[in-house]
Amino acid sequence: MDCEAYRQAIGADPRGGFEGAAEHTAGCAACRALTAELLALDERIARALAIDAPAPALPDLEMAAGGAVVELAPRRRRPSAPVWLALAAGLALVAVFALRGLTPGDAYHDQLAGEVLAHMDHEQSSRVVTTIPVSNTALDEVLHAKVSAFDTGGPIVSYAQSCVINGHIVPHLVVQGRTGPITVILLPDENVEDVIPLSGESVHGFILPAESGGVAIIGQREEQMPEVGEVGERVVDSVKWSL
Amino acid sequence: MRTGVDERKARFERLVGGCHRDLYRYAAWLCRDPGVAEVVLQEALLRAWKSLDGLKQDDAAKAWLLTIVRRENARYFASHPPPALDIHALSPAQEAMLAAEDDVELEDLRRAIMKLEDGYREPLLLQVLLGHSCNEIAEIMGIKPGAVLTRLHRARNRLREAVVQGAGLAAVAGQSDGL
Repeated sequence: MDCEAYRQAIGADPRGGFEGAAEHTAGCAACRALTAELLALDERIARALAIDAPAPALPDLEMAAGGAVVELAPRRRRPSAPVWLALAAGLALVAVFALRGLTPGDAYHDQLAGEVLAHMDHEQSSRVVTTIPVSNTALDEVLHAKVSAFDTGGPIVSYAQSCVINGHIVPHLVVQGRTGPITVILLPDENVEDVIPLSGESVHGFILPAESGGVAIIGQREEQMPEVGEVGERVVDSVKWSL
Repeated sequence: MRTGVDERKARFERLVGGCHRDLYRYAAWLCRDPGVAEVVLQEALLRAWKSLDGLKQDDAAKAWLLTIVRRENARYFASHPPPALDIHALSPAQEAMLAAEDDVELEDLRRAIMKLEDGYREPLLLQVLLGHSCNEIAEIMGIKPGAVLTRLHRARNRLREAVVQGAGLAAVAGQSDGL
């Protein structure tokens, strides 16, 4: 083995687990030095790769074992409407929001919109395409203090966390829509009197007035807006706060 | 008396508990985002739990779980194409992942590892972090052993250059003049 071949091989495996390594380094000081250097580098690489890991957190195995589908809060029965009607409703909402976007909102609404968008940036990883719902337990824990009933209109809830927005702990959910994940943030403590458009770098949506609070509905792309409108309409129509 | 489900759960927890930290680190370096890594890992563990009965030998659990994490990562990025990495504009979570208290050189090295292309970073992870041989890496990545050797060599070469250029010159580069 010559020096060039040795250097190629040792660069791929500094522990020298290849044929002829020991024989070569026994008679070549330069390659011995290179080996020592690469071993030191590997120690540094190993330390660098050993980033802090969170405590083990297993998913809800009982839910997964049963393949259960999350049942949301009791659903209010509605007369079934044709798909075109739902789409039309969604598009109408989009039009309203677009018009609303042309007029300046008041400071409170702007601040609330800013808080919601900042939170979206912070929790980008929640918006994952998946077929796995959160467990009923996790969903109940997030919802029970604030919400007695709401309905997303069918899609599974894949993410549920209690988050702080505008100083209040609120339910942050992600539902799996037909066109991608849709974020639903329930804001029972806010005073939302009008539709507030939301437009971030990569997300679009709105905060809708609901009972005495509001509901933020956000999709990832503008093309998602009709479905975001559908989900938003259904959630707002069904939400009941338990405050 | 334990039920079948309890025993299955205990087995799963034992298998995962033994390598959870490595699985997380593998996922985090694969996707270069600790938040996404947690999501990928959770999804991977759910899949593993559902197919646990297919794992015949507990000794093979770590490799089996790594494969599931790898596939889950690919699945995630199939639907969420990652934005181009701008090493100067990382998210707070990415910055936190790179941070090394009182060790600027280590932080620089992490930054250099993050900048490596996926095809170079992954074999390095599998070898240095997880202790796989070149042949095992070839099998996991579905490439030829020769290609693994080349990628590992180039990955180290780049990291070495980064270290030499940085403050770690004296500590790591030593007297040698290169590969």
